[in-house]
Amino acid sequence: MKNQDMQQQLIQLGNGAHALATQMLGNSDDAADAVHDSFAKVLRKPDAYEANNGPLKPWFLRVVRNHCIDLIRRRRPGESNVQHLSEPGPGPDSVLEIAQRDQQLQCALAKLSDGQRQIIVLRDYMDLSYAEIALSLEIAPGTVMSRLHRARLALKEEMIRHG
Amino acid sequence: MVNEKRPVDQHLGELLSGFVDGELTQQERQRVTLHCDECDECRENLANLRALRERIGKAQLSEVGEDKWRETMNDSRVQTPRTIGWLLFIAGLLVVAGIVLVQLFFNDEIPLGAKLLMVAIYGGLATLLYSVLRQRLIERKTDKYKDVEI
Repeated sequence: MKNQDMQQQLIQLGNGAHALATQMLGNSDDAADAVHDSFAKVLRKPDAYEANNGPLKPWFLRVVRNHCIDLIRRRRPGESNVQHLSEPGPGPDSVLEIAQRDQQLQCALAKLSDGQRQIIVLRDYMDLSYAEIALSLEIAPGTVMSRLHRARLALKEEMIRHG
Repeated sequence: MVNEKRPVDQHLGELLSGFVDGELTQQERQRVTLHCDECDECRENLANLRALRERIGKAQLSEVGEDKWRETMNDSRVQTPRTIGWLLFIAGLLVVAGIVLVQLFFNDEIPLGAKLLMVAIYGGLATLLYSVLRQRLIERKTDKYKDVEI
């Protein structure tokens, strides 16, 4: 793959990667740094990606995920992985309503396990296929459906709890 | 009397997620469709899963725009020369420090106190480096993510 094409694809994956990193690291700024570092890593060694082994999307998300794991590992003991949610800013009612609804979803997501949050973001937000999810999370393809279903049920329960 | 469960009594569970995601075989899809025609609970669950998926899909889980990622990409490209620059600078600094240290020790005009002071500074740096390396090695041994590829 040409470097220029790869860069273009990576730019398009930025938001999804950021959403995944935010769910793992608990705040948006750390997540943006993690995506930035992952871009740098990939661009330093673009040959590490082999197109024969699958699409760029799950591969890059795996790089981001592994980098987030590395960051979590380096965190000092006691430093929590708490979701820092921003308050919805002022704006038209509809915008505020959407922000509140998204915040309710974020709160419910924050109650799930790390793995459950990741699988939901990969499928429902980033629209990855089950095979791509298996590649990104490095799990057996046969377990994706059951894990995802359990995660969705847990999310549904949390959303009911958060009204 | 044989206690056989009718299909409607066997709820579909994860197959509903597979159905919503379009990841089932034709046979499985047919099974879900037929079951949901008869089972109110599974039909409701299916509708809930669809609504949930739609809601997450429309949510704004990342507030960063594409322009920001384009900028970030440009920053990332300058990072490699920056790393090389740092490496060259540190290597040069180490060489200079080594030369100064050797000259210091073989120069009789410099008093012993100054020599001891330099030994303390270099010794302190070496001890700090050793402690950091030691901690990294211990973390590596006990790290549950050590097999993770980065």
